Amino acid sequence: MKESEEKPVRVFGALLVGYAQACVNLNIVAGRRGAELIGGLEVNRWYPLSRLRRLERLVLESYENTGAIMERVGMEMMFGWYHYGPGRDLVQSGADFLRFQSGSEGYASVIDGPDSLLGEFTLVSEDREAGRATLRSTTPLNRDMERGVLIGGMKAPGDLDFVDVAYMPERQAFSIEYH
Amino acid sequence: MISLDELLALDTPPADLMLSQADLKRLYWKYRGLLKDQQRDQAYWAATNDNLTQAFLKLDEKEKHLARAYEIIRDDLRVASRIQQSLLPSNFSPPELDIAVYNRQLTDVGGDYYDFFRTRSGRTAIGLFDISGHGVSAALVMAFLKAQFTLALDHLEAPGAIVDAVNQRSYGFLREVKKYATVNFVVLDQDALTYAAGGGFGLVMHRAGVSTFEKRAPFLGLRQRSYPQYTLPFAEGDLLVMYTDGIPESQDTDGRDYTVRRLNDLIVEHGDEPPATILERCIADYEAFRHEVSDDVTLIIARRKA
Repeated sequence: MKESEEKPVRVFGALLVGYAQACVNLNIVAGRRGAELIGGLEVNRWYPLSRLRRLERLVLESYENTGAIMERVGMEMMFGWYHYGPGRDLVQSGADFLRFQSGSEGYASVIDGPDSLLGEFTLVSEDREAGRATLRSTTPLNRDMERGVLIGGMKAPGDLDFVDVAYMPERQAFSIEYH
Repeated sequence: MISLDELLALDTPPADLMLSQADLKRLYWKYRGLLKDQQRDQAYWAATNDNLTQAFLKLDEKEKHLARAYEIIRDDLRVASRIQQSLLPSNFSPPELDIAVYNRQLTDVGGDYYDFFRTRSGRTAIGLFDISGHGVSAALVMAFLKAQFTLALDHLEAPGAIVDAVNQRSYGFLREVKKYATVNFVVLDQDALTYAAGGGFGLVMHRAGVSTFEKRAPFLGLRQRSYPQYTLPFAEGDLLVMYTDGIPESQDTDGRDYTVRRLNDLIVEHGDEPPATILERCIADYEAFRHEVSDDVTLIIARRKA
């Protein structure tokens, strides 16, 4: 039996709820549709990746230019994670959030599955003096949303004056500058 | 020298403002950070605005489709209305009757239908039907019923048998299309009339006596039961009135029904007047009473001539 058949990619409920709540907060969905989006989702349960894909499609099919929207969804998710979820206990500063991604630690807490399908979301290098870092991402997730996750996660503690994140497709990595 | 945090807590900068190198550097990044936030906000709102623009364009397109679809429906309704009008009797009026008819459909195409027929033996027959619902489907059922009555009249004379035959032939179809129709079917004889009724309203004034139609038989398309027929005297000067539920079930602003009794009393009170005058009185009273038009209305008033 193949590994992928043995253990499919799963997404932690907290991520789905965070995503759905971000969509509601940003009025991407509203009213009954918003309630349906969140209804039935349990924070501490694992769900198939397809469930996240369904939520992603909601944005991708609704907007022509999705980059800035997905980025904002990612940011909103992380504000929720920090201010209303466990974030504040796990990271004390914007740079902490970056380091929390070492060895895909943060990513692994919300995504589960075989390495071949899971990819990685890991801090590759960091120059603290220069306020620069590189984070490699080969996950099956949306890169714009990941960029938003990094911006939102680093800005949420409130200690950084400047955060810029750019994706470099040729290196499958995010270039991050923070001060 | 004050710190950046102290400076930002002030409403206005002090005249002798001095900042440390570290705070100047922080101020630089804070400013750059704000610019970056502004760029992100602009990109986000631009995307949202694009989405709104796209949504409005899609909405415009849908509106055009809807307008086209509505126009097609309007055309169909206009055709259906003309077909329905052509089904109603226009040229033929029973020669032995002085007759007045009020027929107003709630929508372009309504569910009330009346017709005059001749039996094979040459007797006059009057049919009044209220088909459930309105619109094109009601008009189609109307055409179907007209055909069935015409067929039945080819070989039957008695109203009970005619209505029964039509019901037997129509039952399956009407059940299938979830329609039914009230029926009042009257055949005139010398000094009498014979009727079969299922749900319709009828009244005969013979000299001083007033008889109302028995209407306990089922609507067409509702049951497969035979239709009893009843005979009433109907001589010269007698009055025959047939109507659908449009007038008696109309309501005033307080939700009270007009009622069958009110209509019948009005007819009886003015029973000596010409049919057209009685009809005018009834319609005027109904118009004054009703809050809004909520159903098709048909009222037929006929007096037997010499």
